[in-house]
Amino acid sequence: MDHDIELLERARQGLGLSIDDLWWRYFAIGGMSTAMEIEAYLYGALLASAADHDLLAVALNERFSELGGDHPLPYTGD
Amino acid sequence: MPEPTDDFSIRLAYDLATPAVTVTVSGDIDMLTASALAGVLHTVVDGGRRPIVVDLAGSGCVDGRGAAVLARAAVRASAAGSTIRIRSASDVTRRMLEITGVGTLAALDPTPSHLLPSGVARAVDAASIETRPVRSPALGRGSARSSTDVVDAALRLVTALADATITNADGVSVTLERHGRLTTVAAINDKVLTMDRHQYETGEGPCLEAKAQGRWFYVESLADETRWPEFVPLALEQGIRSILSSPLNGTDHPQGALNIYSTKQQAFGERDQELAALFADRASQILTAAGPEPSDAAADARLGAALVARQVIHQAQGVAMASGMTADDAMGSLFRTARETNTTVLARAVELIASLHPDHGAV
Repeated sequence: MDHDIELLERARQGLGLSIDDLWWRYFAIGGMSTAMEIEAYLYGALLASAADHDLLAVALNERFSELGGDHPLPYTGD
Repeated sequence: MPEPTDDFSIRLAYDLATPAVTVTVSGDIDMLTASALAGVLHTVVDGGRRPIVVDLAGSGCVDGRGAAVLARAAVRASAAGSTIRIRSASDVTRRMLEITGVGTLAALDPTPSHLLPSGVARAVDAASIETRPVRSPALGRGSARSSTDVVDAALRLVTALADATITNADGVSVTLERHGRLTTVAAINDKVLTMDRHQYETGEGPCLEAKAQGRWFYVESLADETRWPEFVPLALEQGIRSILSSPLNGTDHPQGALNIYSTKQQAFGERDQELAALFADRASQILTAAGPEPSDAAADARLGAALVARQVIHQAQGVAMASGMTADDAMGSLFRTARETNTTVLARAVELIASLHPDHGAV
């Protein structure tokens, strides 16, 4: 899981997406954690639930897709 | 009837005898294009047009954001004593509009308009769908997003909108004075970016004049233009033949200009000049409203769109659970099918819900 979170954070930085923008995307697909909690997950200070991990992965994948890419980030149980 | 198309466009048809206006939308209303539509709808609502007919015959799919845009425009219209009628929505779109509550705000033809309930009451309903309280600093005024980002994004939308709606526009840009120097904060393409830069570098041109003098400059034929001897040849070299620059007014003085370039002479007719004035006015309002914090309207719109999307995805999760999945499995299934079909989770959710009622539309 730690490794996956690192992957998410690297993807976020690669996309140039702010924590705030990522949170809005995460919230719009059903996320229930705060932006501060998301920041803590990504920096490894809090452990994300599998559900939160997947919501973040989806939010990032959708951004990749908007930019013409595929969905590179795996979901739990892939 | 036009076929659904991938190219997004918005066409305005005014009735000269009445204040009625028809907004014809082609292509998908999705997260990229919804903001442009919002700008158009708010502009026609604020301009006192009534009734406003939104024709979706050429539009394939309306997602949660598109629905949110229509909902907000309907609330705004209702407050202004006008109505929005939605015409020629596809079955899937009608279903989507019904699910998201838009159908009760706007008149989904042929629903009689006297059935419209209070828009505000419905908007409150849409905001009360949460089952658990959500607390986040981003929901309040304490968002980390800077107001400059929000303003620039809004100006880019106005720019895109102007470019899309003004006949013969071959590029639109917004120039603003920032930190004591002129800079282009929004440009449709590289050509207009270059045009702007030529004006800053030579220190002359309609954009600079509009900003300095606070009035609009319409250069009908650059080839016959005697002002700006350094800038004009550079513009002609790029194939530009006419330019319309309108000042953007901040709280006390002109802060910049909206520039519309065309490769045709005398490109902008009376209607285009009116539209340019409308867009410049809108951009000015954005600048005036921009305080140290993001404007309430921008924050509200974003929240509204997110809430609608959540509601739709939540309903789709319920649909999947009805076939025996757990809540987590239902979400996982949505995520994976969205990925497999290279669509968004929201779009997939709409499809899933719409598939329950294949035979009839909303209403």
